Amino acid sequence: MSIEIKNLEFAYDKNLILENVSLSIPHGNFIVIFGPNGGGKTTLLKLMMGFLKPSKGTVEIAYNKIGYVPQITRYDKQFPITVFELVLTGAISKCTWWGSYPQSIKQKALEALSQVGLSQLKDQSFGSLSGGQAQRALIARALISEPEILLLDEPTASVDTKSEREIYKLLMDLKGEITILMVTHDLQPILDKADLLYCVRKKVFPLLPKDACGHFAMGLYHD
Amino acid sequence: MAILAGASASITAGIMGSYVVAKRIVFISGSISHSVLGGMGLFLWLKRTYGISWMSPLNGALLFALISAFLIGWVHLKHKEREDTIIAALWSTGMSLGIIFIALTPGYNVELMHFLFGNILWISKSDIFLILGLDLIVLICAFFFHNRFLAICFDEEQARLQNVKVTWYYFLLLALIAVSVVLLIQVVGAILVIAMLAIPAAIAGRFQNRMPHIMGLAILLGIIFTVIGTSGSWYLNWPPGATIALTAAIFYSLSFYKKIPK
Repeated sequence: MSIEIKNLEFAYDKNLILENVSLSIPHGNFIVIFGPNGGGKTTLLKLMMGFLKPSKGTVEIAYNKIGYVPQITRYDKQFPITVFELVLTGAISKCTWWGSYPQSIKQKALEALSQVGLSQLKDQSFGSLSGGQAQRALIARALISEPEILLLDEPTASVDTKSEREIYKLLMDLKGEITILMVTHDLQPILDKADLLYCVRKKVFPLLPKDACGHFAMGLYHD
Repeated sequence: MAILAGASASITAGIMGSYVVAKRIVFISGSISHSVLGGMGLFLWLKRTYGISWMSPLNGALLFALISAFLIGWVHLKHKEREDTIIAALWSTGMSLGIIFIALTPGYNVELMHFLFGNILWISKSDIFLILGLDLIVLICAFFFHNRFLAICFDEEQARLQNVKVTWYYFLLLALIAVSVVLLIQVVGAILVIAMLAIPAAIAGRFQNRMPHIMGLAILLGIIFTVIGTSGSWYLNWPPGATIALTAAIFYSLSFYKKIPK
């Protein structure tokens, strides 16, 4: 199981976002994609999930079950959905023909909530959660489908330091069981946890954590 | 008869209105409800000019509502960057067609005025059967597809990732909204449909945080507004559609006075 990207190019209208990207995501690793804002990190993630089609090149995904954790800022906080209902939507494809969730899925949703430490808040509105809690609820939604790969888009961007530690602890618990691919612009807290880094600035450069320049961790990107 | 029609339409409005408000597609519903004027005008013109009896304004409204829903769905899925402009263009195109056909149609168009501004007291027995039939379709679809609609309304990408046929369900949702619009035209008229579709669900959403609860409360509020509005219009000799919509608007304003914690 892996993701193989070969000679990929992507442009919005005539604005080239990604150019000549070739990379491989080996199974079971913790991979971090970092880079400046507007560098193409989220676009690369969306190309991997098939939400966007490349202008050139190929994306081969050998995973059947993909879990995706988007940024919490894209959600409507007024939307009427409880935390439990939100987690269940992660298994919407398992709905019966008459539209209800099987008991086994409801049980899995409870387990996923317990895993991320949100069992007590299952009946609360998703919009009432703090940034860190909302992010963990989204991780629980991704986990209910028992993914082989978990893709996270800036999971610590809108959370406080304590929540950031909790999210990283959760990801460390999952490390080894599934492939984790995390997009971030803040490299410092994750440097000692990642197996492989990719710096995305229109082009993509692979790096081992030990080779990452201190400037990158400070957000100063260079070749 | 009027109260029965109002209650039936309130059921559909409460259910579909809750999706409309939650997904923030009130503007889309507005476009559908105003573009039906084109269908009503066209069918009335064909009926009066060529004597085609089945071409009633209501059937024209249903046809144009479904066409508008399909076009809006296509724009939303394929041309998202210009969605609001295209929806507005569809809104005004439908109304323009309607106004032109009204001008071309011979005779005094009192029938069309009822459809434009609503007259719940004018509803016939056959209209009631049509309303109940459409009500049943909406209820069955909402019962079987609620979890899928909820997932798609909240996060289309996530549903797509799980191989859910998002396009199909999105079109179905818009088609059901179109059907609801046609039902509500009977009660408040095409111009005021948006009030009955959005306001009961918007009020309910201020006090409830689960979709089924919002739907239940929105249905109840829709019935209350219809009863108060219809009775009020009787005593005050005001147009019933406008009185119902005004009642809903007054209750909506009052709902801001105090918010019950969810």
